[in-house]
Amino acid sequence: MGPAALTSKRLTAAGETEAIELCFSQGWTDGLPVVPPTPDRVGRMLAAARLDPAHEVAYVAHRAVSVTAEKVAINAVMAGCRPEYMPVVVAAIEGIGDPRWSYHGPGTSTAGAAVLVIVSGPVARELGVNAGDNLFGPGWRANLTIGRAVRLVMRNVCGSLPGTLDRGTLGHPGKLSYVIAENEAESPWSPVHVERGFRPEQSAVTIVAAAGPRQFYNQLSNTAEGVLTTLADDMRVSGNLMGQPQYVVVLAGEHMRTIADDGWTKAMIREFLFANTQNSHAHLKRTHQMAGRVEPGDETRMRPLVESPDDILVVAAGGRAGAFSCYIPGWGGKRSSQAVTKEVKR
Amino acid sequence: MIEILDPTVEIATQSVTFVPRPDSLAGKRIGLVENTKFNSDRLLQRIGDILVAEYGAAEARMWRKRNASVPAHEEIVQELRETCDVMVAGIGD
Repeated sequence: MGPAALTSKRLTAAGETEAIELCFSQGWTDGLPVVPPTPDRVGRMLAAARLDPAHEVAYVAHRAVSVTAEKVAINAVMAGCRPEYMPVVVAAIEGIGDPRWSYHGPGTSTAGAAVLVIVSGPVARELGVNAGDNLFGPGWRANLTIGRAVRLVMRNVCGSLPGTLDRGTLGHPGKLSYVIAENEAESPWSPVHVERGFRPEQSAVTIVAAAGPRQFYNQLSNTAEGVLTTLADDMRVSGNLMGQPQYVVVLAGEHMRTIADDGWTKAMIREFLFANTQNSHAHLKRTHQMAGRVEPGDETRMRPLVESPDDILVVAAGGRAGAFSCYIPGWGGKRSSQAVTKEVKR
Repeated sequence: MIEILDPTVEIATQSVTFVPRPDSLAGKRIGLVENTKFNSDRLLQRIGDILVAEYGAAEARMWRKRNASVPAHEEIVQELRETCDVMVAGIGD
């Protein structure tokens, strides 16, 4: 389609620099400069995903907002995306419109959810979505701009403005962008999208309303049980304990090899972590997480960190060197928001 | 001169009508909508009791959302519409 088919209101500026400032003054940015969304750039973004401008990518019922492909494309241009990233952005926006993800909480909550986007399947490698060194850190355009586009859509289309509708008490850096890929080239395990019902040759994004990543150290053990015991001990008291959110566990190179060399599968990892991250009611009461006085039996009455082992998503990603991995508590609770996986359609 | 596109939703004008506030709560049926957070039921019940005892409301009944992170579901909204004159929604945290 030509740029003329675009129906968004048009503003004019003297040049690129002035257009960047205009975007700031209109309140359209996340605090960083944006690429001015000219009709030509937006048209190329839509063409790369073969979408009509009026196509409804998502309907966010809680906000009564229809998110059109045109608005997604404008925000993706502003975020600095290359046109070929657009199908990934679109899939992530489909995710935030899914009733199971439940926009109302993660889009507004004081607990400060970011949208963690896990890209898996061939598209991750084709677009250069980083799955290695500095996994969450700087350096990769696809990671930084895809996640930024998602947040700009939440801000500009869904109305999640920090300080008004988005009332995160602390927020976290992942709210700027929070995109990782799975290290399928080196991982011995099934990637996340395959575990969640897709074929290996499909590409997908899994989105999780998530707190920040917490790195743990185990530079001592050379067994799966050793590494995972350290992880479980760190995870046990983390996140919104009484809400039982889902968790993401990201196993980086050294730990991934140690665990895999012992023959452990992702399912075994989940079962082990589920069994070893439970807290006694007595502990939860003594530390003022659970209401009430400690009663007889509370020392041995256990509350799991998550509702079931399947609520721990295991992802192989991160640099090859360094005996560190991390876990990411989901936002809120599983009953408030669930991870969803959407196919990247190309 | 360059042209850029507005990234925000340009919402068509829509008017929302609020029910007028009652002059008095005397004889009114109060609906309480609690959001499931700890103590929100106690807080709202206390408010409801005050509205009955001190302002002459006829009754105060409570509804519970499915969880704090979702809007009140349609059944709640429908029942409130049919059986209450005034509602109080609150967050307990």
